[in-house]
Amino acid sequence: MLSAAAAAAFVIPRLRCATRPRLRRPSARTYWPRPLSSSSNHVTPAAAAGAGPGELEPPDLTRLANAARITLSPQESQDFEPKIRQVVDWFGQLQAVDLESIVPSLRAGTTADSSLREDKPETFDNRDAIVEAIPSYDDSYIKVPRVLNKE
Amino acid sequence: MPSILTFPFPAPHQSSVIPKTRAYQRRPENLPAGRRHAAASPGPPPPHLPPSPPHSRSAPVHRRVSLQSAPATTLAPGPATSSILSIRESLLSGERTAADITSEYLSRLRRTEPSLRSFIHVADAAAEREAVELDRRIASGEKDAVGPLSGVLVGVKDNLCTANMPSTGGSRILDGYRPAYDATAVRRLREAGAIVVGKTNLDEFGMGSTTEGSAFQVTTNPWDDSCVPGGSSGGSASAVSARQCVVSLGSDTGGSVRQPASFCGVVGLKPTYGRVSRFGLMAYASSLDVVGCFGSSVFDTATILSVVAGHDKRDSTSSSQVVPDYASELVSLDLLESKPLTGVRIGIIQETLGEGVANGVISSIKGAASHLEQLGSVVEEVSLPSFSLGLPAYYILASSEASSNLSRYDGIRYGRQVSADDLNDLYGESRANGLGHEVKMRILMGTYALSAGYYDAYYKRAQQVRTLVNESFKDALERYDILISPAAPSAAYKIGEKINDPLAMYAGDIMTVNVNLAGLPALVVPCGFVEGGPAGLPVGLQMIGSQFSEAQRVENPLNNFCHFIQGNLLRVGHIFEQTLQNLSFVPPLLAES
Repeated sequence: MLSAAAAAAFVIPRLRCATRPRLRRPSARTYWPRPLSSSSNHVTPAAAAGAGPGELEPPDLTRLANAARITLSPQESQDFEPKIRQVVDWFGQLQAVDLESIVPSLRAGTTADSSLREDKPETFDNRDAIVEAIPSYDDSYIKVPRVLNKE
Repeated sequence: MPSILTFPFPAPHQSSVIPKTRAYQRRPENLPAGRRHAAASPGPPPPHLPPSPPHSRSAPVHRRVSLQSAPATTLAPGPATSSILSIRESLLSGERTAADITSEYLSRLRRTEPSLRSFIHVADAAAEREAVELDRRIASGEKDAVGPLSGVLVGVKDNLCTANMPSTGGSRILDGYRPAYDATAVRRLREAGAIVVGKTNLDEFGMGSTTEGSAFQVTTNPWDDSCVPGGSSGGSASAVSARQCVVSLGSDTGGSVRQPASFCGVVGLKPTYGRVSRFGLMAYASSLDVVGCFGSSVFDTATILSVVAGHDKRDSTSSSQVVPDYASELVSLDLLESKPLTGVRIGIIQETLGEGVANGVISSIKGAASHLEQLGSVVEEVSLPSFSLGLPAYYILASSEASSNLSRYDGIRYGRQVSADDLNDLYGESRANGLGHEVKMRILMGTYALSAGYYDAYYKRAQQVRTLVNESFKDALERYDILISPAAPSAAYKIGEKINDPLAMYAGDIMTVNVNLAGLPALVVPCGFVEGGPAGLPVGLQMIGSQFSEAQRVENPLNNFCHFIQGNLLRVGHIFEQTLQNLSFVPPLLAES
C-alpha cells in the first residue's frame, strides 16, 4: 500500500524506460498469464525486465475509485486490490518491449474513408421515451441533489 | 392458412436496401417434402468456379430442408442447410404459414429455456402478432409481402438497443430501461421482415467470456448444461445452437462472437470494423467493438450481414464501402468443381497451436487444415511476431476505453438511481449498486492506465503494439489469402471454473483479440469435436481475412490480384462447411422431443 504522504502528494513517476538499454524481445512463453494460485512463484515481468519498485506507482484504489465515481465498500476494496495489482503487473510486460519509433495506432485503420455528416440539427421523433427514462424529472428539469465541493 | 385478423400491428417496412437477386425471387416448382437435395434448376455445372457477377447467375443457390422435419432428421450427418431459404420458400409456396413457423420455434424455445437461459427477455406475444400479420399480408396477395427475412426469428444481444423491449446490457444499472430507438442493425433486420423474438443474455456490457458476468442469469451450453456457452454473446450463440431462433445478433470486441460460436458449434461472423454501424450498440471499447452475427450455416450468416451492413450517418466510423449480396456467391455443393479452393493460399498461425492449447483443439484444427488442402488450397504455417503482445495491449486499450464509455451510467438520465445527499455520492452509490464486479474492475484498471503520468506507459504503448499487430497481419495477408487458427484454446469449460481468476479467463482470448486490434473480419465455422458432455463438445475453426474480404472485392476489376477473388472469407467458409463429411452440429438436447 502507498504511504499516506505519497498518496496525498500524487507524485508523477519518472519513467526511466526510455533510457534503459534495449532489451531483446522475450519469447512468447514468458508472457503467458499464470493463474492467481501460483503468483507467489511468479516473477512479475516488470521486475524481470529490471524495473525498480518506484518506477510506476501501483494502483491506489481509493484514488481510482474516486476518479471513476464508484463507491467501493471495504470488502470490495480488499477483493479488488490483489486482482487489479496482478493484472496491472501483467500489463507491465509492455514496458520491456522495444517500441522506439513505432507510431501509435488510434484505431484499426479500416475506416479511412469515413466522412463527417452535415452539422445540421434534426428533430428526434421519440422525445417522450427519453423523458420517460429519466429517474428524477420535474418538467423540464432533470433533478439532481446539491453539489458539494469537497477537499 | 389462417385468416384471422387480430388487432392491427404495423408491418415492418419493406426496404429496398437489400439488392434482390435471383436467389430471393425463385419459386421452386415443387418443394421437397422430406430431406432431399433439390437443385431448383437443372443443367451441367459451369466449367469454372464462380465468381460470376450476381446478376448473371442462373444457378440455384442452396439445398433446402423442410422445417417440419428439421429437429429429428437433421441429426443425420450432412452439411448445414439454410434455414432462411427454407422459411422463405415455405412462405412463398404457401406450404407453411409464418404463424406455424413462429409457433414451432417458440415451443422449442419454451421447452429448452429453463435449462439454457439464453434470453433475458422473450417477446413471444409480439412475435406471434407479427407472424399473424405477415400471414394476413401474404394471404391478401400484397405485393412484396415477403421480404428477404420475413418470418425469420432473430435473437438480439441485450447490449443492442431495441425500442419496444427492455435493453439492459446485462447490467442492473439498466434494469427496466427501454431505449427510445432501435439500433441501426436491429432496424435494418426489422425492415427486411425479421421478427425479433427476444433479447439474449450476455456478460455485463460485453465484458467477459462466459455469461457468468451477467447480472441476471448464467446461460448454459446446449451441448453440456454444466458448461459455459462462451461469451460475451453466450445467449446469442446458445439460442441459435438450440434452434430457439434462426439467427442472432451479437457483438465482438475481443472475441465475443467467435469464441461462443466455437463453444456452441454454430457459425459466428465478426465483420470488418466499420462494416456494420455501431449506432445503438452500447459501447464497450469504441475502437474495437463490432456488431456480429450467428447462424446455423455460413449462408444464413452471410444473408444477415448483407442486411445489416452499410454506411450509417449516425456512426462516423461506419464505412461507405458498397455492400455486396454476400450470400449470392455461396453456391450449392453440386455446382462446385472437385477442387474448388485451387489457388487459395492459407496460413495456419503457428503461435496458436502450441503450449496452452488443448490437444483436441489442435487436432481439430489440423484436421480442418488438411480438409482445406484436399479442397485444393495450399496450407502452410506462418508466424505472427507480435502475437502474444496483443493480449495485454488489448486489455489495456479495452479497459481504458471502457472506463470512458461507461461513465455515462451515472443514474441521472436513465437506469437505476440510488438517491444521495450530494451529486458525487449519487454517482458513487448508483454506480456501486448498479455495476457488476468485472465491470468495476475494468473501469478501475482503465482509469489507472489513463491517469496522468501513466498514459505513456500503458495506453500509448498499447497503441504502439496495435501498430505492430496491424503490420504483422498485413504482412501475412499479403502472402496468404486467409489465416486460420482455433477460436479458443479449449472447448467449453465448466461453469465456475475460471470465475475467480481474471488472468486465466483473459488468457482464453489470446486467439481472438489481435483480430479486433487490426479491425479485420473473421469467420468461425464448426470443424470438429473434443471429448466431453453427452455427445462431445464442438470446436470452431477461425478464418481471418484482410479488410472487407468477407466477399470478393469488385472495386477495381482491372486489378490483377485474382487471389482476392478466390479467397474471400464467406466463400471459403461456406465451401469448407458444405464439404465437411459425417459431422452434425445439432446438439443432442434437440433430439429429445
